[in-house]
Amino acid sequence: MVYSASAIWANYRFNDSFFFAKRQLLFAVVGIIAMYGVMNVPYYFWRKYAKPILLICFLLLLAVLIPGVGMVRGGARSWIGVGAFSVQPSEFMKLGLIIFLATYLSIHQKYITSLKKGFLPSLLLVFVAFGFIMLQPDLGTGMVLVLTSMVMIFVAGARISHFIGLGLLGLVGFAGLIASAPYRIDRITAFLNPWEDPLGDGFQIIQSLYAIGPGGLMGLGLGQSLQKFFYLPEPQNDFIFAILAEELGFIGGTFVLLLFLLLLWRGIRVSLAAPDTFGSLLGLGIIGMISIQVMINISVVIGLIPVTGITLPFISYGGSSLTLTLFSVGILLNISKYAKI
Amino acid sequence: MKRRVSNVTMRKRLVTVFLLAILMFAIMDVRLGYVQFVIGDMLVDQAKESRSRDIIFEPERGRIMDKNGEILVGNVSAPSVMVVPKQIKNPQKVAEQLAKILDMPVDKAYKHVTKKANIEEIRPEGIKISEEQADAISNLNLDGVYIAEDSKRYYPNGTFLSQVLGFTGIDNQGLMGLELYYDEMLSGEEGSLSFFSDAKEQRMPKIADVYTPPKDGNDLKLTIDSKVQTIIERELDIAVSKYNPDGALAIAVDPDTGGVVGMSTRPSFNPANYQEVDSDVYSRNLPIWSTYEPGSTFKIITLAAALEEKAVDLNEDTYNDDGSIKVEGATLHCWKSGGHGLQTYLEVVQNSCNPGFVALGEKLGKEKLFSYIENFGFGKKTGIDLQGEGKGILFKPENIGPVELATTAFGQGVSVTPIQQVMAVSAAVNGGYLYEPFIAKEFINPRTGEITKKVQPELKRRVISESTSKEIRNALESVVAKGTGRGAYVEGYRVGGKTGTAQKVGKDGSYMKNNYILSFIGFAPADDPELVVYVAIDNPKETVQFGGVVVAPIVGNIMDDSLRALGVEKRTDGLQKEYKWTEQPLVEVPDLIGKEKSDLVNYQVNLSVETSGSGEYIIDQSPDPGVKIGQGKKVRIYLSESKPKQN
Repeated sequence: MVYSASAIWANYRFNDSFFFAKRQLLFAVVGIIAMYGVMNVPYYFWRKYAKPILLICFLLLLAVLIPGVGMVRGGARSWIGVGAFSVQPSEFMKLGLIIFLATYLSIHQKYITSLKKGFLPSLLLVFVAFGFIMLQPDLGTGMVLVLTSMVMIFVAGARISHFIGLGLLGLVGFAGLIASAPYRIDRITAFLNPWEDPLGDGFQIIQSLYAIGPGGLMGLGLGQSLQKFFYLPEPQNDFIFAILAEELGFIGGTFVLLLFLLLLWRGIRVSLAAPDTFGSLLGLGIIGMISIQVMINISVVIGLIPVTGITLPFISYGGSSLTLTLFSVGILLNISKYAKI
Repeated sequence: MKRRVSNVTMRKRLVTVFLLAILMFAIMDVRLGYVQFVIGDMLVDQAKESRSRDIIFEPERGRIMDKNGEILVGNVSAPSVMVVPKQIKNPQKVAEQLAKILDMPVDKAYKHVTKKANIEEIRPEGIKISEEQADAISNLNLDGVYIAEDSKRYYPNGTFLSQVLGFTGIDNQGLMGLELYYDEMLSGEEGSLSFFSDAKEQRMPKIADVYTPPKDGNDLKLTIDSKVQTIIERELDIAVSKYNPDGALAIAVDPDTGGVVGMSTRPSFNPANYQEVDSDVYSRNLPIWSTYEPGSTFKIITLAAALEEKAVDLNEDTYNDDGSIKVEGATLHCWKSGGHGLQTYLEVVQNSCNPGFVALGEKLGKEKLFSYIENFGFGKKTGIDLQGEGKGILFKPENIGPVELATTAFGQGVSVTPIQQVMAVSAAVNGGYLYEPFIAKEFINPRTGEITKKVQPELKRRVISESTSKEIRNALESVVAKGTGRGAYVEGYRVGGKTGTAQKVGKDGSYMKNNYILSFIGFAPADDPELVVYVAIDNPKETVQFGGVVVAPIVGNIMDDSLRALGVEKRTDGLQKEYKWTEQPLVEVPDLIGKEKSDLVNYQVNLSVETSGSGEYIIDQSPDPGVKIGQGKKVRIYLSESKPKQN
């Protein structure tokens, strides 16, 4: 219900270009059909097939790395082309991993407080998947994947001391990642002072803020964005929230944030009321994935954290992302059928 | 180690996760508000700037006119070339064609036409080019090459008033003189046609172009009268060709307002070609910049102080000059060896008798004399609206002893600027009102003709009373009629004034030999002065260093022609006649044989001198010593390198 209402956003956002709008509409229709279909699939179906799904996802991730099969866009080999349409396997990996983790954690929950039997195996799996995604590389999706998994492992009952240890390790790993790809350090310095290099690394942040700033309280009005005139590169993608804040202002921006929060609340309630641990963790994983993606995306757009390429669920243009998000929501909706709300 | 995770733990952790998420969303919303409200306005401006493309429309710089509206500095069309590199199809060819017309290296032109810029100026070769060059370029019909209308300064009178007017740089920005001082008023504001462009340089739909018309600069009307200025320029040119001095300067001021009517400096320059002269020439506006010991013209201030303080009665009190006066062991000589004998103080003024003025200074005392000097504006900038004014040097009060008081009384040991002297003397003769000198009279909107700003004369203070002022005028009129200033006498205009022979201080701090600044300050008509004129000639050559001989006639000429040009009627009332030269007492020719040429400065008698031969020593003279001749008549002296034998 609420999820459907949020999904409407996707339909009307793309009025500046019918090309994107039509495709997005198509994906939305496909996604909604998928959502209704999935809604009626009992969620424990996914537990049953968790292993093959994960395997397929890994295979797709491998396939994307093969030149000729995987397509390079924007410096990352993230797409697999099928005719005019192309998909991002890393999107599927997110969901695949959530399903598998929910299955694994619910079965092995009694070992979760153990470092060797619970915590480390889950972690190992997560980082293998992360590693594959980073080969493309796609830091944004990788981060969503890791953070969502962490939340799931945390809620499943892992020890806090283990997380602290992991956090320290994570810092080291993060430093390593930055060292391995110099453009990431540029993004971080660009974040700290975007005006130092306004035409280079600071460009996206500045142009994003140029969109949001003039929005003010009420915004410029729907369709009145100026920044979408090539100033903000590919405004329908990662920086769509900037255009939204420009056209609909603080009120519109806050409204969207509230809708996402409402979605999160509903998701958490489903997770709380789910009849079993698997449902609870699966629901949490799905809603966690969506919410984390929202937080990262909007934080980037408003200049809170450095630029990482990631879409805004429901709103950004992107077939894989939208279909998959709606698909995930379908699963969540099915869990809610069984929930005692 | 193993512990069963209860449902309660999971629920608690779920709620924790949710609460953390709420916190994150709250932070995001606060940040959104910060961007939109707190730094929103700044971002709006920056964003607009990043999207707008401006085509600049240059304003026309305000013209400078004399008080009657005659153009002193105008503008002529001087187009500039601009290129839009993205639109140039064959940069090499375009660069070659432009380089040929603009007379510049091809590689330099190529750099301009291939520059990564929206609009590029070809600087400096393509800025302010001639109409012919502009026509040649537009005839080529090159894509991406534009001719923009622009203007440059035009000086119809060449070197006329040059140091005062100053000049502008390549962007019509004021660099010197009035052009710099009033740059903001003259320059106007750029206009522009702004259109909003997307990041691919296409016009943005829906947003209207914004045309901001340029605001032309204000026309500036000066207090200068170009007729008077022309007369001054002519007289200085004559003086320069006659005496080949190191420098020369002249100022004419309206004593009733402080408005500068004329001002000139030699050497001069043409503002259109200011690069061709030494920077000292164009940056030194001598009438306000130079500071030197004024010499006898400064005695007017001592006289004014003494009269105002009622320390002397010019006609009743007398002074016996025996040729020198002892002050605290130092002997100060009169310029006339042997002295002037017994004189009234009026005669002291007429004779410019140094010991007599020392006596006046002593009557006043140091506090009073120096307070008058300061009140008359010395030691401080006058505040004239021109760049580079000097301020002069006075003795520090704690350093003033009897000797300093004595020398100051006759104009030595103080250092002043010409404009300070002119304003002080103006105050002395206009009834005691010390004005701030000014040169900009009005600023006028060139489109509407409305006066945007009018400068009012600024009275600083009243220094002396009208009755004192009247006494000064009469005394100084008699200096011209009967005394050392005879050369400035003009039939029909009652000219008053005072000569000065200023000694120059050399690099070693001592007085230079045979190197004087000869000056004269005059005013007329003496009963109600309309004009105060000061002329100084620095180190004239091939002449005797008599202030009264060299400079007084120049001031007389300036006065005569200027007052006529200003429409002051000549008068023939009885008062004039007593000053006619036929009634002047004859002058006894002094004995000059055996003296050095440089000694001539000590003979401030009203005679003109012609020299024959060359050398430092006077070996003969004509007429002979003791012969009485009319004032201003010629004495011929014969010079030799060696000292004649005494017989």
